[in-house]
Amino acid sequence: MIIEGRPISKGKAEGSILRLNEPLSFLGGVEASSGDIKVEKGGNVADRVLVFPSGKGSTVGSFVMYDLKVHSKAPVAIINSTAETIVATGAVISSIPMIDRIDVDLLRDGDRAIVNADNGTVELVDVKSVESVSSVILIDGKILVLKRPATARSFPDVWSLCAGKIEYGESPEAAAVREIEEETGIAVTRPLKDLLPIHVREKNVIWKVYPFMFKADGAVPVINEENEEFRLLDIEEIKGLELVQGTLDVIEALTADD
Amino acid sequence: MELTREEQAILDGESGEGAQKAIELVVALGRIYGAEGLVDITSAHLSGASYKTIGDGGLQYLEDMVRSGSKVKVPSTLNPIGMDMKRWKEMHIPPEFAERQLRIVSLYRSMGVKTTCSCTPYTGDNVPRFGDHVAWAESSALSFVNSYIGARTNREGGPGALAAAILGKTANYGLHLDRNRAPTVIIEADIDGSLFQHSLLGQAVGVRIGSRIPYYKGIRPGVEEAKTMAAAMAASGSVAMFHVEGITPEAERYDISELETVHIGRREIEEAREKLNSTDDVELIALGCPHLTDKEMHEIASLLKGKKKKGDTEIWFCTSETVRDRCSEDVKVMEQFGPVIADTCMVVAPIEGTFSRTGTNSCKAANYLPTLCSQRVMCQDITELLKVIQ
Repeated sequence: MIIEGRPISKGKAEGSILRLNEPLSFLGGVEASSGDIKVEKGGNVADRVLVFPSGKGSTVGSFVMYDLKVHSKAPVAIINSTAETIVATGAVISSIPMIDRIDVDLLRDGDRAIVNADNGTVELVDVKSVESVSSVILIDGKILVLKRPATARSFPDVWSLCAGKIEYGESPEAAAVREIEEETGIAVTRPLKDLLPIHVREKNVIWKVYPFMFKADGAVPVINEENEEFRLLDIEEIKGLELVQGTLDVIEALTADD
Repeated sequence: MELTREEQAILDGESGEGAQKAIELVVALGRIYGAEGLVDITSAHLSGASYKTIGDGGLQYLEDMVRSGSKVKVPSTLNPIGMDMKRWKEMHIPPEFAERQLRIVSLYRSMGVKTTCSCTPYTGDNVPRFGDHVAWAESSALSFVNSYIGARTNREGGPGALAAAILGKTANYGLHLDRNRAPTVIIEADIDGSLFQHSLLGQAVGVRIGSRIPYYKGIRPGVEEAKTMAAAMAASGSVAMFHVEGITPEAERYDISELETVHIGRREIEEAREKLNSTDDVELIALGCPHLTDKEMHEIASLLKGKKKKGDTEIWFCTSETVRDRCSEDVKVMEQFGPVIADTCMVVAPIEGTFSRTGTNSCKAANYLPTLCSQRVMCQDITELLKVIQ
């Protein structure tokens, strides 16, 4: 799949992703002569597509990046959530392709990536994108959550909202209505609220999830074989469950200001 | 970002590789900060000059810049380097350091940069005028020219300022625009008016306001006081511009009636001083952060005249070559106590090889000496410091 960001330092490159979780200072964080990483889990930046949230620390970091290039130990490309001066400067003067405005949480170590910093995209060669819906169903002030069976192909053995794939040619809203009918037997019509899609990574799939909220006061859920249990809970109770990644973000966004 | 046809041609490489790299960097930084276009600059001041800070990566970068034929298009000066170019042996500098440091200076010189290596170029070597757009690195100097002179610059980094100098343009955002130069907090200062108290005031304010733009009431800083205050604010916070009621040229331009007021008095000043002091016994006293002006040279010389040095504490007086040349009578007096060194200072020189405890009257230096030079620090008024050696 292709993720769109913003070009910072031009060029194209291909390589295997190495992802750091914390903001990186190249000064003190990476050894210029070897490319060895001195923070977090370690590793080596040479010839990798280096992914981290943002730069930090001394402005001398730009020259450390240049020194990496001189020693042929530089990353082939850099991907940030938010570019700042030090890393952007280092990338440009060292001719390292760089893009930002990428949700780095979607990228994983070892992902094969084609970075096109001329137009600001990263293609994850082995990762596919699947569009889906996820709906908060409010029943008498409580939120309906469903337990996925251990045999489920995606997200087994955890709790989720009423969710499913969008079928070919179907609108997200129609998919949400259909999934609710199939999984809970509840007939809904118009959503109370919808939001822009969020992205969730699971193995080699990035789920593009359209969030909806429906109201179904008085309804009695009748679940099908896709789930093994349902509960009607408030947000604090839901926080105590093991959830499909991103579920709480969806609930909190949909129930904000209400 | 909107580029003119001429700028686009440079970006496409029609003016050569050096100019292309320069505009790529200026455009990339402009894009990050939401610039709508580029703006012509009248001067640049570059950091990234000490071999101690930029290392072999920086040296190689400069070698490659020179090889690609890069030249600055506007008058440009250079920040302090790691040693006095003539008197580095008196500073206990290893020869291999000196060799690389001199190479860095010659690379800047061959790009057309004026290599009087000072952090106070606005006192003579590079003086912007009111309203000029410039691209300055060196946090204390850029804050001074923004505030005291009314020139316009963001906090440029070394390579960004050099790229702007090569291009003669920088990205038009931040402090280049009227709307971002307004004060955002009032500082009601209650201090005794000495130079050292201005430094402590800057220290206390930077800690409290981070990168906001203060509007000072209750002080009347001259050049020296504004210089040390700007330096301290940029080191303890990241203040790039300040206003002073009745003093700075843009102070009366903005409505301040709705702003929050922060009071800085004796208690806050004393607290700032205490935090910066970690020793009461020093091996080196270093004055001149930022570099000593003519007036400060005269004052120090008159304090020292007729006195004799005692003890083995070393003393350095740091200034620019231009000022040292102008103040030859003062220099004679000061040299009885220690070297008057130019081109460098105690923060960018590799003093950690020789000293471990340093005295200074600059809060900026007191912020950086522990981390950049592994020093314990005595931060005191100049007369207190001089008691140690006389």
